[in-house]
Amino acid sequence: MGCAEFQELVVAYAELADDARVRVDSHLTQCAGCREFLEALHAVDTQLAAQFGGWEASAAFAPAVRRRVSREAAMRRLSFIPELLDFVGWGAIVALIALLAWWGGPLIAVPTVKDAVTLNAALAAGGAFVLVAFVIGLRSLADLKH
Amino acid sequence: MEQEIRACLDQKRYQDAFDRLLPEFQNKIFRLAFAMLADPALAEDIAQEVFVRIWKALPGFRGQSSLSTWIYAITRNACLTALKAGSTKKESSLAEPSVARAAEKRGIEPATHAGIDVLRHLRELPEKYQQVLRLYYLEEKSYEEVSRMLEWPMGTVKTNLHRARKELAEAVVRSKI
Repeated sequence: MGCAEFQELVVAYAELADDARVRVDSHLTQCAGCREFLEALHAVDTQLAAQFGGWEASAAFAPAVRRRVSREAAMRRLSFIPELLDFVGWGAIVALIALLAWWGGPLIAVPTVKDAVTLNAALAAGGAFVLVAFVIGLRSLADLKH
Repeated sequence: MEQEIRACLDQKRYQDAFDRLLPEFQNKIFRLAFAMLADPALAEDIAQEVFVRIWKALPGFRGQSSLSTWIYAITRNACLTALKAGSTKKESSLAEPSVARAAEKRGIEPATHAGIDVLRHLRELPEKYQQVLRLYYLEEKSYEEVSRMLEWPMGTVKTNLHRARKELAEAVVRSKI
């Protein structure tokens, strides 16, 4: 086994089986290069543990988060316009359907019953689509502003 | 704790859920952001932003993944966005010296010891190795926590840490020649 392979074992030393550790220890007593590698690895572990161990968010962190969240909550409470537009939009759709049901008769007089149904259904669907698109557009604008 | 938070969410008590979530996850989110961004001050800013995102998204949390998985995913995305935004000024704002300064304030010894500047060599490693090394030491050498926070399989965490430590040790040896 060459030094490159021993160095792989040195990196994984903590997880080695006992017999592998004995072989590594034995090699280290005879090889200055691998001992230097072990020292470097020890320096890496020691210094990185010292630099990065024990870090926590500062004491000001949680209060700052709460302030930001409170601001967001206040803005959200003020933003009633999207809900109002939703209400108006869905109200308009329901009113349109109710109006059509109540009216019952054809919107445009045509010679046959089949044509009248087709034409009026298309008109109702088109009207509802335009209305919904308009309300959703307004709603999106309101969302963008908030 | 996660069950308590989920119970609050089930009952639509979002403020209660958030009040429990903040102390539970603030250090985890900060450390994950620190590991990815290499700058404790920037990590705190991004961690705050992450909590605002969490607060906004809590009503939409469907519980398909664990709460911590969801939170760490939000954190990683926020960090990646910050890294992209700051990539052009990385040398000045994300550089490791800010860590050293903050560490000194906390009474930690300077990075160099016996003439070896490990942090300088750390900066020369691929970004992926830097992040996993920082997180490993920030999380007190817990493979499980690193695996959860980066959403990497345990084997991937161990392999990357092994290679990163080896490359770093080799760089230290080369610098002494």
